Amino acid sequence: MKTRIITVGAVTGVALLIGAMAVAVAQAQRGTTPRAPAASTSSAYNGPRTPDHKPDLNGIWQALGTAHWNLEAHSATEGIPAGFSVVEGGTIPYQPWALAKRNENLQKRLTDDPLRKCYMPGVPRATYLPFPFEITQMPNHVGIAYEFAHATRTIFLTGAAHLEDLDFWMGDARGKWEGDTLVVDTVSLGDKTWFDAAGNFHSDALKVVERFTPIDATHINYAATIDDAKVFTRPWTISMILYRRLEKNLELLDYECAEHVYDKLFKKSGKP
Amino acid sequence: MRTAIASAGAVAAVLLMPFAVAAQDGSSAPAAPRGAAPAPSYPPYVRPVSSFVPPRTPDGQPDISGLYLAIPLPRGIETPLVPLTRPPNRANSEFSFSLNERPKLPEGAIARPVGVDPPDGRIPLTAEALARRKDIIARQEQIEYLDGRVLCLATGVPRSTIPAPVVGYQIFQKPGYVVIFYEQNHLYRTIALDGRAPLDPNIRKAMGVSRGHWEGNVLVVEVTNFTNNFSNNWVIGAISATPGVPAESLTTGHGIPHSDQYRVTERYTPIDANTIHYEAKIEDPKVFTQPWTIAYYAFARAPKDYVPVEYACFEGNDKNLLLMTNTDISGVRVNVPEE
Repeated sequence: MKTRIITVGAVTGVALLIGAMAVAVAQAQRGTTPRAPAASTSSAYNGPRTPDHKPDLNGIWQALGTAHWNLEAHSATEGIPAGFSVVEGGTIPYQPWALAKRNENLQKRLTDDPLRKCYMPGVPRATYLPFPFEITQMPNHVGIAYEFAHATRTIFLTGAAHLEDLDFWMGDARGKWEGDTLVVDTVSLGDKTWFDAAGNFHSDALKVVERFTPIDATHINYAATIDDAKVFTRPWTISMILYRRLEKNLELLDYECAEHVYDKLFKKSGKP
Repeated sequence: MRTAIASAGAVAAVLLMPFAVAAQDGSSAPAAPRGAAPAPSYPPYVRPVSSFVPPRTPDGQPDISGLYLAIPLPRGIETPLVPLTRPPNRANSEFSFSLNERPKLPEGAIARPVGVDPPDGRIPLTAEALARRKDIIARQEQIEYLDGRVLCLATGVPRSTIPAPVVGYQIFQKPGYVVIFYEQNHLYRTIALDGRAPLDPNIRKAMGVSRGHWEGNVLVVEVTNFTNNFSNNWVIGAISATPGVPAESLTTGHGIPHSDQYRVTERYTPIDANTIHYEAKIEDPKVFTQPWTIAYYAFARAPKDYVPVEYACFEGNDKNLLLMTNTDISGVRVNVPEE
């Protein structure tokens, strides 16, 4: 049994909530859990801690690098810098049909990349877009606010189970601390987001396990393990460094992507 | 078995309804033109004084963190005083929604009338702003003047705190900040408490730039630097104006504009462990002849098992906009994030 939310809009939320609750109650948990990446949990962390003795991740962070263009190694093309692969082992283990689909996506990326329609970026792509994001850390919830399209995630640390088999652009995230690593298990990510601007994609079977391991007060080792048996031959992991933005009085600004759609639309029609 | 929930941003509008005021204000309705809603008046607004002392966060702030639901405003606030008598138009014919589908508030949640100042319920619009508002009302079915909530634009302040179909809020606190996530359209605000200066006026945000401080147990937030890009950026609003209600009336709800001078002063007053009263003083010298205020019991602590769900408004709204305004946005692509 599966609940599919086809289109989500204003009213959906309440209906959705009711649906979600019903599903949560009605459904047994599905079994498989993505294999955790082989990140170190040894605690070399000597940075600041919260009152509940967790590493203090509060603040504004951003990834550098070219993962948002292409997770895999690539030479420069016009407007796009060259970059190393962030994929462990170098390449994404696609099933043959899926590799062909990815290559087709790449050809059509200027029209088919969901970001160009201002859709929410999904997970893990939100993390390494060239926009900052802000972590707000509390004992039972970690909030992440993304500058791009004001996407948000609330990561529940309460131990409550996922609302499974829903279809959220940013997924349903549950986390826990393993030593000094925040481990976030996200499901219900749907099949409409991409991993990057190069057409790397997934199905609605996607599960993502992220590991935020602070190195020091200003760096996080970020790893995300991607598990999607419909598309890949095995789970695979990306990793990169997240950098704390240190500018004084920095705050997230707006990238209200939908406004840019209307800008374009209204200008084209010659109306205000 | 699959359950399809197919809906669209526009539906919101139908429920949001004009910001009309019901008789439970205790006011008697003055005579009104035939077919028009009565012009409401309000008891003088008295700011509540709370003796409740919230617990403290580790950094010493009054702790108001947690998950909340919007307290429904009195029925007249969200529904028109006069049922729509004109034939349904594209903006209201396609969807229906039962208010009974709202998540149930916890037992004992306080729902009380709004406070309004000035109490005659007339928004002190300048002559120019009144003309603009009439223009917005007259063109309300064109996409350029459609309720910004239906376009899935960020609804700004205080509009994001007016009960809408999706009614969850999450208040986070960390040293130096209060952060609010709105379930509606996954909006958020980060409220800096460290006394920092406002941002350069060239930087605009759809939800404004928030600077807060605690006055005792009351969170006071100055919000400035609002975006003013579209005819759909409103102070408050609803899908459509109630026919017959004067355009300067608060009860019309629809299309109250603001300018680049727009400024809101919010007060979040914890009344008890489960309830927060909200006040918004609205100032804009280019639009209003004097400041005006709306206030209500806004936040009720959510039931323990409440889980906010994703409200992806813009994603999938193209069919809705096509239906409502005959405008097809599905082919529009923007450069993200390059150029």
